[in-house]
Amino acid sequence: MSASANGPVAALAGLGSGAVLILGAALAVRLWVSGAAERLTTPEAEKPKVAVADQSEVSYCTPQFKQVLERVLHSCGLAEGDSRRGCQPADVKTFASISDEDFNALFTPLKDRGAVVLFDEGEDKLDDKAKKLLEDKWFARRGARYFFVVARASKSGNQAKNRALSHRRANSVMFHLNEVANDPEIEQKVGLLWLGNEFAQLSKDYCSWPNSRAEEKCEDEAINRSAFVSWVDCRL
Amino acid sequence: MLGPKSKLPAVLSLIAALLGLLFASNSTLDYAKHLDRRLHDVHCSFIPGAPATSEAEACRVAMYSPYSALFKEHYWGGIPISLFALGAFAFYAAFAIYLLAYGSRAPVRALRFFGAVSFVPLFVSLIMFTISVTKLGTVCKTCAGIYISSILLGVAGVMAILASRSEAPDEPRAQVGFALPLIWLVCLGFVSLVPALVYAASAPDERPYISKCGELKVPKMKNDEFVKVHTAHPIQQTLLFEDPLCPTCKAFHERLTGENIIEKLDINLVLFPLDSECNWMLDQALHPGACIVSKAVLCGGENARAVLEWAYDEQEYLTRAGKNGPDVLRAAIKQRWGDVMLKCVDDRKTDVRLNNHLHFASDNNIPVSTPQMYLGKQRVCDEDTDLGLRFTLGQLAPEVLK
Repeated sequence: MSASANGPVAALAGLGSGAVLILGAALAVRLWVSGAAERLTTPEAEKPKVAVADQSEVSYCTPQFKQVLERVLHSCGLAEGDSRRGCQPADVKTFASISDEDFNALFTPLKDRGAVVLFDEGEDKLDDKAKKLLEDKWFARRGARYFFVVARASKSGNQAKNRALSHRRANSVMFHLNEVANDPEIEQKVGLLWLGNEFAQLSKDYCSWPNSRAEEKCEDEAINRSAFVSWVDCRL
Repeated sequence: MLGPKSKLPAVLSLIAALLGLLFASNSTLDYAKHLDRRLHDVHCSFIPGAPATSEAEACRVAMYSPYSALFKEHYWGGIPISLFALGAFAFYAAFAIYLLAYGSRAPVRALRFFGAVSFVPLFVSLIMFTISVTKLGTVCKTCAGIYISSILLGVAGVMAILASRSEAPDEPRAQVGFALPLIWLVCLGFVSLVPALVYAASAPDERPYISKCGELKVPKMKNDEFVKVHTAHPIQQTLLFEDPLCPTCKAFHERLTGENIIEKLDINLVLFPLDSECNWMLDQALHPGACIVSKAVLCGGENARAVLEWAYDEQEYLTRAGKNGPDVLRAAIKQRWGDVMLKCVDDRKTDVRLNNHLHFASDNNIPVSTPQMYLGKQRVCDEDTDLGLRFTLGQLAPEVLK
């Protein structure tokens, strides 16, 4: 075969293969891009679920627990931003629609999250240990939205006096939180309840909960001269 | 010395060109797949034909880099440079077949032309390799496949030039006109452009999708302030959610820097560490130690950017330190930033500040992922913070690109 004879063959081979390759490449690009364009307009059948940032929701947030908390929060004016603050014993009984035992049982899962701030008999002043415990609990907020304060009074004395005392104890907690928190929205976070001595008294069993006087003797009377404080990790 | 009858130059160039074609196809396919705005595995192997994999960080870094494509402001993701390689290697393969068909009679001009243009891919590969090493700090295997193909092609080109110097006495070389190499050159240019033109013509319109990733519900942080990241010419209000130990955040930060965008952003930073030590939204820590490093950024105050960039620069070390416990991490912070910084990191007020940042994320119900970018209130979709970054900014904040 002479050089001039295989020239056209070579040219044809080059041109043909070039055409095939470039057309193939162009076609492949076109197919890949149009495939992506088609998927773009077609919603994914199984779109991967993305977690969304939100407040905490832990296992103790049962529907019953949340129902009671929600009722109390709404009734105490907190959730609506009403100027009224706090729930009186009668309110709690009405809105919570729950027995003393069941009410206390609701808070059992908060044993480690919360603490019991103890007061002297007939007093509403927070001592240093109570302040420290309260601050420790307040600043360990994590993902919680609401901070509950459930103040109580022991059975010593008459009901009216104990209601007032319980109310003052709740306020002491609130005042101290206001001092340390530097949080303009504190009113929308703290739910105050004062129970006097006629509803949901704590039994001696609650002496084993974290409290501000761990080294002192704790009995039925002492544990109810208190305010239970805790962040609640539920979305309401 | 190669004899005039040797087919080695043509065979080698055909192998090199086909290899290059394969690697360029893989790279283009990876790019094109992402036009659907979804996440896909990426080809990242020296082995031709190896399947795509999720373990392809280096190739993903290369793909998301500013150097992977052209005209990124005009086309979502830009026009990948692998398309030009695709066209060029198709030309080289065809030319190799042409030479192979000619055999020992291949014209001297053809051999010399081929020898000359065979260095073009090698030259481009050298540039891209230098960029990979100096700018990206990594070399992707698919890119390396193209570099190797280019080297082989260059070697074949040298062989072709050497072969052109000899002639078989019984088979004189064919003669071609002097204009033909010019025509081949035009063909090389045109063929190199064809895949890119097809890509550009068929790329979907992404504009309707870039504003569909939501908005901030609560644009201001309650009880606290964002961390100000100072930049040279801040003109576009931007909110970033970042985790200093998150590799994707680091890559994003480098992208903003590499694309010359960051200095024009007026950045408010929200710390969103993906570490269950402080972030209640996670069951387990994705980036252990990120809470402590985030607190260091918070404590940076006016130097927050320097602390953040230190965390990114030292991310591998800090990540290892984080896995070894908080004390190791605290020691690293103390060593770099001193006692005052560590005191601030350990202060309860800093815990509260970090918690406020996390609550800001929670108040806005943002996705639990980092990084996230908001231009004003508008969330920039994840896919628009990597491949589509320049295009999206061109649409939503064009002044940033000027």
